[in-house]
Amino acid sequence: MLNGFSGVLYRELHVFSKKIKRQILASSLSPFLFLIAFGWGFGKDVTINGLPYISFLIPGLIAMSTLNQCYGISQEINISRFYFHTFDEFLIAPISPVEIVIGEAFYGVFKGTISMGLIFLYAYLFQVKLLFNPIFIPAVFLHMILFALLGVTMAMIVHDHGNQANLNTFVITPMIFLCGTFFPVDKLPGFFKVIVHSLPLTYSTKIIRASLTGGSVDLTHLWIILGFSVLFFFTALWALKRVEA
Amino acid sequence: MKTVVLQAQGLQKKYGQKLVVKGFDLTICEGDFIGLLGPNGAGKTTIIKTLTGLSKPDGGHITYHGKDFFSHSRSAKKTIGVVPQHNNLDRDLTAYENLYLHSILQGVPKKLRRGKVEEALEFAGLSDYRNQQVKTFSGGMKRRLVIVRALLHQPKILFMDEPTVGLDPQIRRSLWDLIIKVNQSRKTAILLTTHYISEAEKLCSRVKIIDAGSIIAEDTPDHLKKDMGKYVLEVFQEDHIDRLFFPTKEMAYHKMKEIPHEAKIREVTLEDVFIKLTGRTIDA
Repeated sequence: MLNGFSGVLYRELHVFSKKIKRQILASSLSPFLFLIAFGWGFGKDVTINGLPYISFLIPGLIAMSTLNQCYGISQEINISRFYFHTFDEFLIAPISPVEIVIGEAFYGVFKGTISMGLIFLYAYLFQVKLLFNPIFIPAVFLHMILFALLGVTMAMIVHDHGNQANLNTFVITPMIFLCGTFFPVDKLPGFFKVIVHSLPLTYSTKIIRASLTGGSVDLTHLWIILGFSVLFFFTALWALKRVEA
Repeated sequence: MKTVVLQAQGLQKKYGQKLVVKGFDLTICEGDFIGLLGPNGAGKTTIIKTLTGLSKPDGGHITYHGKDFFSHSRSAKKTIGVVPQHNNLDRDLTAYENLYLHSILQGVPKKLRRGKVEEALEFAGLSDYRNQQVKTFSGGMKRRLVIVRALLHQPKILFMDEPTVGLDPQIRRSLWDLIIKVNQSRKTAILLTTHYISEAEKLCSRVKIIDAGSIIAEDTPDHLKKDMGKYVLEVFQEDHIDRLFFPTKEMAYHKMKEIPHEAKIREVTLEDVFIKLTGRTIDA
């Protein structure tokens, strides 16, 4: 029982441990640059919805950085599928596809949690005041699992590395910039507003921000990201079953 | 009577519109050592992928111990070990970690895992390198590790896809010894694909010659050769070599005297069988 889940995690965590310094450095650099540029450079005297911009930005960076790390497992799966063929070990093993999907998703959550910890550390160093609401925990967990499951789905759908890069360029990057990580989506024109409200990051960013800045938490957003998580669990399972005989 | 481990009937596989495996049949019993011999692109790897669950067939049936592979895939997968054509070890993990991971995935009970891993390292002669990352290993060491990894959970059948491709002759021979030991001491059935004629002749009790996705001959290596004749007379023409087959050396010698060209008599090999059946060499 659960050999698949523990096997996938054993593999991913051991590989991660060999590259831990590089991994942490990589996940710490981009939010740090955003903080310097938008937090200090641009947003020092700017307020949004009554919040100093840097306080507005920190939850957005948590949403962005955890998304990058969780969804980023698709790149790692992709390399192990098409380049090193190590993923074949999972496919020929007597384990259930559900265990592979959940194992990979939890690895994504693990990576996301590390990057989240780094941003909390930055918030402390930059003396950003956060008002913690316990709803943050299920919200950020669902946000991470949602994008890790999307990552598994994409890794199973693509046919090569190029395909994967295109998906990142045309789906993930626009989503990161438009779904409220750096500015409130209410300021977008009508057409874009419709688009961003069909994407899960909009809702997870809203609830993560509200639960860290003392804003009013709309539980509907939690249900929406739970719905997306369930949807992406099934898409990941479907996509994995397509590649496994 | 030997137990049938694997039976495949009418296996078909398409890539796009192209049929690359055309009605492949196979029965493997306990302890069998069957070789799939064919040139690059004959469909050997596709057949292995289809039989091991890495690729879905477009037609035909596969059963392991009499049970349909796809409706009992978890129990069937427990009985198989796979040595893929390209090493798919985790290069960042150590030899020990690679084997331990395999033991988890294959459901080896926790208390037995460490012992099984140590035993496999010993069998491969890699105990001294247990904590070394695989990316530092030579090609031969990686190959030995892949083979013992596939055996760690004691499969009933081992699929080996071109296990010695790209290795130098000395390492190839040491791997042959390891493979023979596995087949004889553990009675593990083996299905081996190769385009090295000598490998099939040395290792396999039965050989299936495949070309363009179809079986064109199958028998023991000795019978396949005997059916051609025991001796071959090679006649060196200006732009090609003619091969004439004879049951005795005397008959071949008698014919050689009548031929005005340079000629040579030697014993028939499986390569001659292949050339006779397909009209080309295996590397063509």
